[in-house]
Amino acid sequence: MGITAEYNETAGKVVIDEQKGHPGIRATTLGYGQINDEMLAMLDKPRPSYYLLLLGFLMALGLGALSLAIQIDVGIGYSGISHPIAWGFYITNFVFWIGIGHAGTLISAVFYLTRAPWRTAIYRSAEAMTVFAVMTAGLFPLLHTGRPWLAFWLIPYPNERMLWVNFKSPLLWDVFAVTTYMSVSIMFFLLGLIPDMAILRDEATRKGKKLKAMIYAPMALAWRGTNHQWVHYMRGYLIFAAIATPLVFSVHSIVSWDFAMSSVPGWHTTIFAPYFVAGAIFSGLSMVLTVLIPMRAVFGLQDYITNHVIQSVSKMIIFTSIIVGYAYASEFFIGYYSGSPFERAIFYYRPFGEMQSWTLLGDSQINFPQIAFWLMVFCNVIAPIPLWRWKIRNNPLAVWIIAALVNVGMWFERFNIVGSSLQHEYDPSAWGEYWPTIVEVGITIGSFGFFFTLFTLFAKSLPPMAIMELKEASIPPMKRTEKGN
Amino acid sequence: MKKFTGVWGIFEYLDETTDSIEQVRKQGVQPTVLMPCPRHEIDHALGNPSSIVPWIALVFGALGCLIGYSLPAWTASDWVLPVSGKPIVAIPPFTIIGFELTILFTAIHTLLGLAILGIIDSFRFPIPNSAKKYTRFQRDRFGVVVRCDEARIDEFEAIMKKNGAEEVHVEKE
Repeated sequence: MGITAEYNETAGKVVIDEQKGHPGIRATTLGYGQINDEMLAMLDKPRPSYYLLLLGFLMALGLGALSLAIQIDVGIGYSGISHPIAWGFYITNFVFWIGIGHAGTLISAVFYLTRAPWRTAIYRSAEAMTVFAVMTAGLFPLLHTGRPWLAFWLIPYPNERMLWVNFKSPLLWDVFAVTTYMSVSIMFFLLGLIPDMAILRDEATRKGKKLKAMIYAPMALAWRGTNHQWVHYMRGYLIFAAIATPLVFSVHSIVSWDFAMSSVPGWHTTIFAPYFVAGAIFSGLSMVLTVLIPMRAVFGLQDYITNHVIQSVSKMIIFTSIIVGYAYASEFFIGYYSGSPFERAIFYYRPFGEMQSWTLLGDSQINFPQIAFWLMVFCNVIAPIPLWRWKIRNNPLAVWIIAALVNVGMWFERFNIVGSSLQHEYDPSAWGEYWPTIVEVGITIGSFGFFFTLFTLFAKSLPPMAIMELKEASIPPMKRTEKGN
Repeated sequence: MKKFTGVWGIFEYLDETTDSIEQVRKQGVQPTVLMPCPRHEIDHALGNPSSIVPWIALVFGALGCLIGYSLPAWTASDWVLPVSGKPIVAIPPFTIIGFELTILFTAIHTLLGLAILGIIDSFRFPIPNSAKKYTRFQRDRFGVVVRCDEARIDEFEAIMKKNGAEEVHVEKE
């Protein structure tokens, strides 16, 4: 939240900052009414291109739904998951989508606590992404169980045999972490929407749109904007930000322990928690840019999502890219330094395939894990390097290409971790190979369709920017300043 | 609900609103202020009111923590599964459940607390229906609502007018 004006107790009045607005939110120079008008204009009837885009995402979603139906009807044997590779595309997608969600919480909670002013314009969309990404992620472990209709067995409830879930299992920690994360993200998102819903209700009333006002009124929860409501609201919002901050770091740490608590070579490492969290933020911020840069162009939001905002997110991407690159390198070093032949073997296998065929050229041993590894290194470590240059960061198209590449790279990173270790455990007789089947690919495409359909609907049905926070960041109407007093 | 008696005014400017609030408070009455977004200037003028929401969060967060540790401990003791001589009630893995339930309970009850406090405050500090129907408080106007006896209405009306209120409405039973 940008402070553009501060109350000076000695002067007994608000002293307006000389600098008009903040570079991150140029719209802070707009009046309160103008902000309302511009934000509400974004919710007007969409153009045909919007429906075309929505249709594309719905088709992807339809493909996913069809694949899902086949998968559930035939059974989990229809996927490529089989002994020894029990975790394939589904768990890869789960880890990937949970990671995508992290950027939203980072922007809405962590940057709220650190008072990063540029977050104002993008936090609502990023938060919506969190909600949709976690919803998408949550589907995969359920599907992976093979019998999703029995998923309630994961919840500790008193059943007829008084059998309880195993609280010492990292998989159950995941149940608690992901459900808590999803619940808190949804509540945080809805909390932020309350004042904006009141704005939509009152603006609809003002313009004589009674039906719209009737729809928005219950969602506004009788919000009037009294000082009593605001004081509770702001304290509540701060508490949500304060609890969401450790939560966001805990969730991906716990997801990483699904792997790190096992004794599988390549998984059993203490670096996993920070490595996963950095990767999650890295992929999430890239997804934020992948979605917001086109949205900014379509809705003409250059005054709100300024180049400064894109630059700030890009800097975070550079930072997390370095951490992720360091984690990749240290994994290899620890693999070598451990002295364990199994650790050394898996870290040779990931980039080069089987030991006896170390050459990449014309070698049949190179398969999916090796492709995933090199794509991961290129997209996550090499592709973000141009972002160090100001000119590249200031070019939205270039940033968008890099962000899209990072998304691809991060998906393959998840696959690299999930898939390769299981293919190449201790005993060579128990080694295996994994290739996804058509339903797994269909469901993966469907997950992207699900996420983007929800986001596209959100962009036209709810204010994609927090109107209240934009107003808070803008210069308030002051009579004495206008008089030059 | 008891009918509202008092005065409410509409202000375009923040500084005029804060002046009006301060002068109303000097007369011994705490006004209710309506605003399009939270402003520290108004908080200062109102004497920096506080909220009990953090206490709600603390109490229910502690309850969540207690449940988060005791549920796994009780279930582990209820159906004992010995594994390699490892502790039955193991604190490190249960800390994860304790942490997650602390967060979950804090979040749920903070939100519930906000909703319940909103309902309580609507009875404690009522605003007239005419002010509720005025739609520009969510847009670009500030409102000052003073609940007072009929005898003092003129006094507060004068304060608001003097401080540049666009409109002043008098509500009598």
